[in-house]
Amino acid sequence: MITTLLVFLPIAAAVALWVTPWSSSRTAGGFALLVALGELALWVGTALNFDFGAAGLQAEADVTWFADLDVSFKVGLYDYSLWLVGLTVVVTAAAVGYGFWVGRERSGVYLSLLLFLEGATIGVFMAQDLVLFYVFWEAMLIPLYVLIGVWGGPGRLRATFKFVAYTIAGSLLMLVAIIAAGLGAGTFDMAELAGRGTSTWIFLGFAIAFAVKAPVWPFHGWLPDAYRESPAEVAAVLSGVISKTAAYGFLAIAIPLYPGPAEDWRTPVLVLASIGLVYGSLLAFRAPDVRGVIAYSSLAQMNLIVIGIFAVNASGYTGALLQMVNHGLISAALFLLAGAIERRTSTGELRLLGGMARGRPVLATILITTGVIALAVPGSTAFAAEFLVLNGIFDIGWGWAVVGAVAIVLAAMYILRLISAVLHENVGSAVPAEALDLRPAEVGVILPLVLVLLALSFWPAAVTERVFGALF
Amino acid sequence: MTALAWTALFSPAAAAAAIALLGNRIDGRGAGLLAAGATGFSFLCSVVVFFDLLGRQPEDRSEVSTLWTWLTAGDLRFGAEILVDPLSVFMMLVVSGVGFLILAYAIGYMAGDEEERRYHAYKAFFVFSMLLLVEAGNFLLLLAGWGLVGLSSYLLINFWHRRREAVDAGKKAFIMNAFGDATFVLALFILAQQIGSLDFDTVFAEAPEALGEGSTLSVLVALGLLGGAVAKSAQVPLHTWLPDAMEGPTPVSALIHAATMVTAGVYLIVRSSPLFELAVDVQDLAGILGAVTLLVAGLVALVQTDIKRVIAYSTMSQIGYMFVGVGLGAYGASLFHLMTHAFFKALLFMAAGLVIHALSGEQDIRRMGGLARELPWTYRAFLVGSLALAAIPPFAGFFSKDAILSSAANSGSLGWILWSVGIVGAFLTALYAFRLLFVVFFGEVSAFAREHLHRGRFEGPVVMLWPVAVLSVLSIVGGFLQVPGAWAGVDTWIDPVAESVEEASGALAVFSILASLAAALAGIAVAWAFYRRPGERPAYIRRRFPGAVRTLEHKLYVDEAYNLAFYEPSSRLATWLTRRIEEPLVLRSLGGLGIGVRDVSDRVAAAQTGRVRGYVLALAVGLAVLAVVFLLVA
Repeated sequence: MITTLLVFLPIAAAVALWVTPWSSSRTAGGFALLVALGELALWVGTALNFDFGAAGLQAEADVTWFADLDVSFKVGLYDYSLWLVGLTVVVTAAAVGYGFWVGRERSGVYLSLLLFLEGATIGVFMAQDLVLFYVFWEAMLIPLYVLIGVWGGPGRLRATFKFVAYTIAGSLLMLVAIIAAGLGAGTFDMAELAGRGTSTWIFLGFAIAFAVKAPVWPFHGWLPDAYRESPAEVAAVLSGVISKTAAYGFLAIAIPLYPGPAEDWRTPVLVLASIGLVYGSLLAFRAPDVRGVIAYSSLAQMNLIVIGIFAVNASGYTGALLQMVNHGLISAALFLLAGAIERRTSTGELRLLGGMARGRPVLATILITTGVIALAVPGSTAFAAEFLVLNGIFDIGWGWAVVGAVAIVLAAMYILRLISAVLHENVGSAVPAEALDLRPAEVGVILPLVLVLLALSFWPAAVTERVFGALF
Repeated sequence: MTALAWTALFSPAAAAAAIALLGNRIDGRGAGLLAAGATGFSFLCSVVVFFDLLGRQPEDRSEVSTLWTWLTAGDLRFGAEILVDPLSVFMMLVVSGVGFLILAYAIGYMAGDEEERRYHAYKAFFVFSMLLLVEAGNFLLLLAGWGLVGLSSYLLINFWHRRREAVDAGKKAFIMNAFGDATFVLALFILAQQIGSLDFDTVFAEAPEALGEGSTLSVLVALGLLGGAVAKSAQVPLHTWLPDAMEGPTPVSALIHAATMVTAGVYLIVRSSPLFELAVDVQDLAGILGAVTLLVAGLVALVQTDIKRVIAYSTMSQIGYMFVGVGLGAYGASLFHLMTHAFFKALLFMAAGLVIHALSGEQDIRRMGGLARELPWTYRAFLVGSLALAAIPPFAGFFSKDAILSSAANSGSLGWILWSVGIVGAFLTALYAFRLLFVVFFGEVSAFAREHLHRGRFEGPVVMLWPVAVLSVLSIVGGFLQVPGAWAGVDTWIDPVAESVEEASGALAVFSILASLAAALAGIAVAWAFYRRPGERPAYIRRRFPGAVRTLEHKLYVDEAYNLAFYEPSSRLATWLTRRIEEPLVLRSLGGLGIGVRDVSDRVAAAQTGRVRGYVLALAVGLAVLAVVFLLVA
């Protein structure tokens, strides 16, 4: 029941928001924010009632759809998907709050799309039937296309076009894979399919779809444009949450359903992901703008997460999951900060920025705190996650961990470059003297993300003790 | 007892958080008092813990306390746990004690800076990180403290972030340390894989069995840890960040690094001595790196002209001695030198800070001179620090440096080589220390000083003077903790954790002492001859050996070499990847499909909503395919 509600509350609210003729954008925004916070409260309630000691699916709802094909509306939560749903509701609440505060054009429609996206994403994390998974997967894309295509920056058309082309190509492959898998086995139920798949081709269909979405190198052609042209809060959701659906796909579908092919293809995947990790880090180091740094660092981080998943052991899985939560919060906070910087300077180009720390202590403190967690300073939750990921892959082969350790150094290089280019040295030519420190509303949406990161740094085991109880 | 150790740990963290949260509701001085008070409280707790341990049998002086489980994965569990034993208490006393004096001094030094509060918060956070490092009960938590120390050092180095040098120096320090962190973490992966735990007790108990003595695994583990130690302690070849770190920031932050943080590497090696003893070659390597560092740093210090840089190089060279000590297994002697060094190095930095303060921020020693007459008490403090640094009896440095050299003399052929280097180093130490002293304080009062010197009733605010007085006393009497032939306070205390090798005794010990004393006196004599008054002789050397002097002034071109070997290639690779791979191949990837992206977007620029309809259509097609398949099958 609760799971169905988690999916359909935001979707229903989105529809209501869309069809209601609101008297002002303010009431519409207030309604959207209320729904997002209500969804958050719903998740907290779910998490408190969740039995982490018990293995298996919880809060299950199962309604048969097409009986003869064994397709059903089956949703439920595993311990690891619970955390990803949590990430979704937290980041969406921040994004809705930020969008409301910024005041986008036709904000009722805008915010309803964000809520619809939230419902679809939660659906992806909870679907236990492949057909249902596909429906939610595709449903995620509709609001994204519109959000980027209509509300994006000057290059939004090119960005949307590439995003569409890449993701539809991936989706079609996945569609074929799902049909082949389901018809072959006579069921689309993921639990029943688990461990039975032996077809390399079906595995690859899934894997490529997820690799495009994550993205794994070199399937990331859509990423820089999409992350640069989206409105800040859409970029926050896109890199923070949507990318995690792909990692989740590897974790919950590609590997458990096709353990044999996954094992066979481990080395090629690890090679690509390792290249992606180093490549993304290097490009982040040379990126000329704030969003470029965050975008390529996201590429690097997603590839690191894929490395952890393909370790297929307790340490790798746990680290990958923790890093999914961390990176979701980190990149959401960073993109919102990028939005705040762009609003003040009308640019994100690093050579035009600088010296913003002076007289803006709140901006400086929040950016530095997020940044040092992003570069995984030892003691932070991102460090805990990277440690587990690399420790997990170390058992598969030392070389992978050495590549990962190199990336630790590169991460320090690009994040510190970002911090000092924005905050330090001489005041940049695009920075007006009267540019304000973060406003209370901005602090209100960004600070909670950072506080969660700090709390997790204090106690990463809060997550790691409560995942994969059934698996390891 | 462990409750007190936890209190000592969290008290500075609480102060840092309080200063951050109070914001404008606390003034700069209040923030400084809060930070210093919290650190002083940590020191008091440490003292109580120390006496508690002292009252027990040596074999009972170790207690582990876990507050919560920090991180888990499968069977791996890493607790937020501290280990209270003679070694950690020793370090706690040094860190919180010297840290307290430094923070107290900073109240005066930073008074009036526009971001004074932020500074005090950083310092309190620094002390917390350092205490976490030394109290941690497992390698993962130690690494956490290790990384947070690096972070707070980054924050302190680029504190005056409008200065480009400060920002660059901060980044450099962090990145070089990140390199050390990377090798450190690789060593931990091996331990986690082979032993399944990172708790000190378990690792040290099972390492001989699980890794094997002299095995490749042991060597790799020790090398990884050594990489971390070398980066943190600014030893060759990862040393170039430390002198740069002196350039931008305040003397007080320079000081906290020198007196506490950079000794973390020494602590790490002593702490993991059971692992290093499984890989004796790597332990020897630590000693050799220390010897190289003490020579290089001693030579480079001779030509530096920035007062803080000279002291920074002397820090490197003194830590070189400590590495020689731990490399040979003279753990007690190294820690003893660590402690006395903290005293006299903090004293030297503080006295230098008084000079800089009196000269309105000037740091170039070529503009100083004759200050002994103007700042007599500062001069005396500086003299005490210099005598201790040069290891002249009965000052503190004499006993501790002698303990290291005497252990070296007793450690076979490698020991003798390191001993000889140490004697040369003793000569260099005395030479650069007294060069600095003579140039700054002797001779005629310089024109610059006449013009810019300003002083109040005292030679500085009282809040800055009393820590200098305390450290002067400690630099004089601190050495008597361990007197050769009489008693060995530090060795005895540390033995339950890491047993030191035997020091030389009898005639050998006397010979070692006399040799190092002769070297030190010779160094002072040469400094007297050359630098007592500004004269021709240094200029003559410069003319006679221009290449050598230039090489030293460029710090042996190590920075340039790193630039060529690492920074340039990675920077070029990144640019090449952007230009040749990312832009043409990945970003234009759809061009190959026969769809010129730019054309399409130009053509449809006027019809954006139409595009959206197109996407929805594409989706609908996908769903329709699915539906058709179902219908067909059904």
